[in-house]
This record gives sequence, C-alpha cells and structure tokens, in this order.
Amino acid sequence: MSLSIGLDVALSGLSTTAEQTAVVSRNVARANDPYATRKIANVITTANGGIRVASVTRAANSALLEKMLSATSTAAGQQAIVQSLNHLHETIADPELDASPTAMIQKLNDAIQQYAAAPQDPIRAQSAVAAAQNLADSLNGASRTVQDVRAQADAGMSDSVNSLNTLLARFETINTEIVKGTRNGADVTDLLDQRDVLLGSISEEVGIRTVSRQNGDMAVFTDSGVTLFDVSARAVTFDRTLLYSPGATGNAVYVDGVPIAGGAGVMLAGSGRLTGFAAVRDNAAVTYQNQLDEIARGLIEAFAESDQSAVPSLPDAPGLFTYPGSPAMPASGTLLVGLAGSIRINPNVDPAQGGNLALLRDGGMAGDPAYIYNASGGSGYADRLNQYVTALSDARTFDSAAQISTGATLGGFASSSGAWLQEARRTANDNADYANTLLERTSEALSKETGINIDEEMTALLELERAYQASTRLITTIDNMLKSLLATAG
Amino acid sequence: MKTSYISTSALSAATRLSLSKTQAKLAEAQKEVTTGRLADVGASLGYKTGQTLSLRQEHARLTTIIDTNSVVSTRLTATQAALKSLSDDSKLFVGQLIGARNTDSGPVVVQAQAKAALVSFTNTINTALDGAHLFAGINADVKPLTDYYATPTSANRQAVADAFLATFGTTADDPANANISATDMQAFLDGPFSDLFEDPAWTTNWSAASDQNVKSRISSSELVETSTNSNDVAIRKIARAYAMIADLGIQNLNEAAYQTVVDTATRTAGEAVQDMANEQSRLGIAQERVKNANERMSIQIDIMTNHISLLEGVDPYEASTRVSSLMTQVETAYAMTARIQNLSLLKYLPL
Repeated sequence: MSLSIGLDVALSGLSTTAEQTAVVSRNVARANDPYATRKIANVITTANGGIRVASVTRAANSALLEKMLSATSTAAGQQAIVQSLNHLHETIADPELDASPTAMIQKLNDAIQQYAAAPQDPIRAQSAVAAAQNLADSLNGASRTVQDVRAQADAGMSDSVNSLNTLLARFETINTEIVKGTRNGADVTDLLDQRDVLLGSISEEVGIRTVSRQNGDMAVFTDSGVTLFDVSARAVTFDRTLLYSPGATGNAVYVDGVPIAGGAGVMLAGSGRLTGFAAVRDNAAVTYQNQLDEIARGLIEAFAESDQSAVPSLPDAPGLFTYPGSPAMPASGTLLVGLAGSIRINPNVDPAQGGNLALLRDGGMAGDPAYIYNASGGSGYADRLNQYVTALSDARTFDSAAQISTGATLGGFASSSGAWLQEARRTANDNADYANTLLERTSEALSKETGINIDEEMTALLELERAYQASTRLITTIDNMLKSLLATAG
Repeated sequence: MKTSYISTSALSAATRLSLSKTQAKLAEAQKEVTTGRLADVGASLGYKTGQTLSLRQEHARLTTIIDTNSVVSTRLTATQAALKSLSDDSKLFVGQLIGARNTDSGPVVVQAQAKAALVSFTNTINTALDGAHLFAGINADVKPLTDYYATPTSANRQAVADAFLATFGTTADDPANANISATDMQAFLDGPFSDLFEDPAWTTNWSAASDQNVKSRISSSELVETSTNSNDVAIRKIARAYAMIADLGIQNLNEAAYQTVVDTATRTAGEAVQDMANEQSRLGIAQERVKNANERMSIQIDIMTNHISLLEGVDPYEASTRVSSLMTQVETAYAMTARIQNLSLLKYLPL
C-alpha cells in the first residue's frame, strides 16, 4: 500500500502548496498597505506523513505596536496644540509687521510724543486718539481671537469625542468577531489587522494602553487607566460649549462619569488630541487672555486721571482708556478677567462720539472739572502729554495669574507676553517635530518587523512553484510505477 | 531563517517621508534667502522674540523722539533768532538814546525811532511758527502782545495815558508839561509808570502769554523747557524803554525832565540786553541738550538695528548654500526613489 500512501502525500503537498500560494498572493496584494501585516501559513505533518496548512497567523510585535500607539497619541496631541497656538500667533504676527500689542502701545506712545511736540496742533491730537482707538480695537480683537481659539479647541474636543465613540463601536464589532473566530479556529488575521488600525485611530484621539486576553480578546484603557473598552464599548460624553467668553470654563470629557480630559481629576489622559485641545482651551489660551487683560488694565492705569484740586478729594478715574466699570478704577495689581475685550477709548475724547480731542492734552476726560490738568487752558500745554509718556515707561505691578513678570513697564509686559506665546509655540513645534519623528521611526520599525516584502514573497513563490512541480513529478512517477505494475500483472 | 528584513512599504515610505521633509525645509530656506530674515521669527526665536519686540519698540520710540526733536529745534532756533533781533534792536536803541540826549532835535527823532521800534518789537514777539506763537508760553494759540498802536486805543496804551494823567493832571501832549520837574518825572517813571509793566497790569494790558513755558521730552528721560514767553523780565524792560520814549510826550518836557526820561530808558534798555542774554543762553543750553540727545539716540538706534538683524536676520550666504544643498538632496531623493522602484526581483524572474 506504500505507493498509494506516496500518492496521498504528494497530493497533500499539492493542496498545501496551493494554500500557501494563496497566502503569498494575499500578502502581495496588500504589500503597499501600511497597516497590513505579513501572513504566515503554518504547515504541519499529518498522521499519514502528508502535510497540511494548520493555521494562518500573522507577524506581530505587540511591544512595537504599543510604542507606535503612544507615539501616535503624543504626535496628535502636540499637533492640536501647535495648530491652536499658530492661531493665537495671529495676534503677534511677524515682529516686523508691528501688529503686536507691544507695537500698538508703542505707536500710541509715539503719537502722543508727536502731539507733545506741538500741543496746539489738532491734527496731531487726532492721530494720537486714532492710535489709542487702534490699540483698544487690537486688544478687543486679540481677546476675541483667544476666545475663538478656545471655542475651536472645544469644537475639536467635540469632534474627537464623536469619532472616539464611532471607533469604539466598530472596535466592539471587530473584537467580538475575533473572539468568535478564534474559538472556532478560523483565520482572524485580517480582523486583527483591522483592529490594529482602529487602535491607531483611537490613540490619535486619546492616549491608550491595551491588555490582550484569552481568545484574542482585548481591553482598551486610557493611558491614565480609565476603561474605554472591556467586552463592550464605554460611552464617552462631552457637553460642547458653543460660545466662549473670557472666564467661561469649558466642560470636561467623561467616560463612565470619570473626567479624562478638561476639568480636574487624577484620571486625565496624558496624551492624544483631546488632551492637546483641553490644554489649549483650559491653560494656554486662558493664560494668554489673562495677559491681554493685564495689558488692558495697565493701559487704563497709565492713562488714569487724578484729582487736580488744591486739596484732592476725588479718587483716580479712568482717562483716555475706560471700561464698563468706570468711573471706578480696576483694582491695582489684580487681574480683571475679560478687560481686554471691553476696554475702549473714552467717548469724551473721541470726536466720532461727540467728544473733544483737546481733553487728551488738558485732562478732564473723567468728566469732572476737578480732573482738568491744564488749569489755564493754554493750547501749548504739554505737561500732561509728557506725563503719559512717562507713565508708559513707569514700572507697574501685574497679577501673577498672567504667569509672566509681575513688575514691568507696560511695554515690557506686553513684550514678555509676546515672548511667552512664541516660546510656547516654539516648544510645541519642537515637541510636535520630535513626536512626529518618533512616530515615523516606530512606524518604520513596526513595518519592518511585521510588513510585507514583495521580494521575499516572490522567492517564496519560486520555492512553492518548485515544490508543486516536484509533487506533480512524484504523482506522474507513481502513476508510471502503478502502470508498470498493472502491465506486469497483465 | 531570516536575516535583516524590511517591508516594501517601509522602503518606499522612508524615501517619501524624507523627501517631503526636505521639501518643507527647502521652502523655508528659499523664503529666508529672499527676505534675509528667519522664515518664522516667533517659532525660531521662542522667548527671545520678546527681545526683538522690545528692541523694535525702543527703536520706534527713539526715532519718534528724534523726529519731534526737529520740531523742538526749529522752535528753539526761531526763538533764538527773534531774541537776537530784539537784543540787537535794544542795543541800537541805546545808541540812539545816547545820541539824542543832548541835541535839540533829539526828542522828535528818538520818539519816532522808539515808535518804530515798538511796532517791530510787537511784531517780533508775536511771531508764530506752525500755528504756535513763540513767545506765548503754553498759550500757544494767542497773540502774546497787545498791539500798542491799535485802533480803538488798546488797553496798554490807555493805561499809560491814564497813569500820566493821574500823576501830572495833564495829558502827554499838553505843552504845560514843561513844568514837570525832573524829580517828579523820575518818581513817576519809577512808580506808577513802572507798575504798568509789573503784574497784574502787565498780564492784563500787555501780555496774554502764560508764564508756563512749553516743556518737551528730548530723550527717554529728559524733559526741558524749550520756549520762552513775553512775561520775561527782559521783554518787559524793552517794552518799558520803548513806551517811555514813544508815548510820554518827551518833546513837551523841559530838558532836565527829558534827560531823566532818556537816562532811565537807556538804563532800562541796557538791563534788558543783559537779561535777554540770560534767556538766550538758557535756550542755547536747551538747544545743545537736544543736539546731544539726538547724537546719543542715533548711536542707540544704530546699535538696536544691529541687534534686531542679529536676532531676526539670516546670513544670506549660509541660506543660499542651504538652498543649493537642499536642492541637491531633493534631486538625489528623486533619483533614489526612481531606482528603488526599479529594484524588484520581478524584473529578474523568468516568469
């Protein structure tokens, strides 16, 4: 009976080779898919000495995958920060353009200096008031930009939460199929690939850690340890805030009632787009708003008018720059949230609002005659104008909530604010560059480890071809032998 | 058995990624070559952006002060010229007085000269520059001196006439004034007449100027007075000397009284020249300070310009070398990609 066994074995060789060829063509077909892993047909010897493909597995490296997932989260988070900071950068722009609050303050200072050189000239008064108007407008605009950035970050978080929920739902479907397939011994390698792709997408939204369990099951946690998926997907919830005003606090992103981004908590995720957006919304943009508010407060202070009576009895009052809380002065050295958005020039000095330009030179913008500095009313009076210039270069106290120098001149403080923003931008850019490079390297390493090489597949195909040829030759030979046996038997 | 392994997609991704990175760098370098400045100043300098912001503002501030200093200088120069002509006129007048003291036709001649001098004095004091009166102090938009010979009779001229009448009981053109003694005349000149040129009469009848001079910022820290005003003692003395001769009817006085008037006028005008010199030197010092401040600030501006370009600038040669080396890199990457694509076992298999 050994001849027929030989025939069987040769036959099993043929079918196995065919199956292996199928695996090779699957590999070749997906060679350019960056997420595809190399499939391996595992061949075993059967009881009668033949061979068969027992299972198909895939090349995998969980350590590298985990590393790539964390690099993905970091890169996505930093990218979100860079994007928002670049938007905030519009308020400073290139220093050459002189569009920053510092430059606007300087322009006002220069216009007043020009006015002081010829205090009788109404044109110069006009240009000084216009410079003040521009400065107030630019602070208002900057404050709006900051709040826009916060609203955009909030919208980004909302989008991120939506996509996270969709991804987790799909993850659940695929994970269930994998568990089922593994139990049945089916080929689940393509499903595993798909699940890895999903993990990659999830890690862009929030930093994750995975735990593999029996039957190919997998649980997903945030990098802070909150369960996102365990047998079933958890709902990620977020209440979007549509409009932001200074001082408004955005909502947190919750999973099972635990905040994972935004707000306070010990379980906040450490990386991912959600974290990046939350950092901008709740920290960077808020601090920058504080700085703008402090610049506005400094301006109101520098241009405040004091009682000029022989025996002063009235408190200081806002002069050229005023705000809704006028006539009281904003508390000295203390942040008044949202001031940059509400600062405006005093209507009493703005001709467009029926004001008198000369009040800039003479004082009395606060409305009470006691605040008039130019007692004689002489049109060549420049002392008050010179006082403004001095006040702009006087050191004053700023709130530490602005996170920059607490004692500086107004211009210096505004410069520091610009420096703070640019430093944050540079750091975020550097971090994003680093995270991207790390992501490229780990992706490459993972791809090298688990990806498909066409040349190798082709070589394998050559081997398979030869094996197939050999098996067919065996069958022909055994056939010939049987034929001669039968001929002998006659 | 597997030695070193690389997947096909990793192989092509590597060239693709490095190519896109090089291209991004190339775009940046190109911008830097054309502008000579960093492509993204803020992101490149980080916290140092604060320095360039401050330097630029300081630069703008000093440029403005130099600019306004030219306004100040013009005013000072014009004021100095006016003071010089006032002083020259006074000196000339002193000479005329001395010449006229002992001649018969003296009173008539010197009176005419005084009248002319008073008119030109008023004109000089009332000079305006760019809408601002040089001698008005901070009351820049008002003519500082009242025109003595205006019609109807101006307050200052009326006051002189009233004082004369109150003291001597006659008007200045009365021939009976020949009876006024030299002593009485001296008492009048030193008393009621002199009072007309002191406050409050001076500021009511003669001068609308403010005592307060214009103060200008000539550098970051220096505030100096850069104008004078018609309430200055020298101006009052000149006005007194001119008015004395012009309007006290000196042709009607006896010789002793006439000589008393002339002597007093000579002394007063002489003192005025002296006081004027003080005022001239005060403004001269201001002019000198403006000049020094400008020189100092110009040097500072040069230093700042250098600093700004040190911070924001890019060496054009370095940048253009960078561009050409990046271009070579991109070209190499293209060639590599093409050849790697060709590098396939398929081409060599007899399939």
